[in-house]
Amino acid sequence: MITEVFFIISIVLVNVGHLVKNIAFVITTPPNSNLTATAINIVTSALAMNMSVVGVFFYQDGVLNGSQHVALPNDEYQAHQQWQLLHHKYNIPLHLCATAAEKRGLSDDINDKQTTNVHEAFILSGLGELVELNVKADRLVQL
Amino acid sequence: MSVTEKSVAILNASAPLSNANAKDSLDVALIFGSYEQTISLYFQADGVYQLIAEQQPELIQQKDFLKTFAALEFYDIENIYVCHHSLNQRGLAEKFSIENVQVLNQDDFAISLYQHQTILRF
Repeated sequence: MITEVFFIISIVLVNVGHLVKNIAFVITTPPNSNLTATAINIVTSALAMNMSVVGVFFYQDGVLNGSQHVALPNDEYQAHQQWQLLHHKYNIPLHLCATAAEKRGLSDDINDKQTTNVHEAFILSGLGELVELNVKADRLVQL
Repeated sequence: MSVTEKSVAILNASAPLSNANAKDSLDVALIFGSYEQTISLYFQADGVYQLIAEQQPELIQQKDFLKTFAALEFYDIENIYVCHHSLNQRGLAEKFSIENVQVLNQDDFAISLYQHQTILRF
């Protein structure tokens, strides 16, 4: 499986035609989707290839990865925890699109900022952050 | 090419009102436009329905975000391409809600799309 992911990353590299040092990701799938597990494998592989992951931008249903209240069955892949781990281990910024998050009940100013339901590894950002990541990264990959 | 010159393409392949892809895509396009990034929009498959004129989203309890397409020129988003083959498959005439739409055959559509450094798809 890891070999396959390396293959995908290699394709990304060949397309660019020069070495990718900085990479950013757009995630649009929720934690209960297997597509998110694939996305995490690709991010992990990029790190293993010594790329710098300048940020991950969560859009559409992807923002659900940042909820404090995700509870997947114990015997299933814990995608949301893997993101938290990546953030704590590699200090990767995890940006949730604020508008997409609010549409899905995620906010950091419930009762005038007394409470939040966004996990502390994630930060609510505007879509402008996606523009910034695209400028910062040699390659922006949407998953 | 320096990173600041990166051009962005958004490939739209979803029908306008069955899910939020079209609206989410348009929001991204307008943000890139307002940051003065070079951005082109591509419409393919069911995505071509997004540009068809005289739709009435309010009949199915949807806000008419399609009229926002008319604002693209104010954000200097002028490269808008539609796949001719996709229109043909759906029996749609080239009657769009905005001007300056370029209809391309499949090959030219693909060649044009892959000129960009970043491609987002909705």
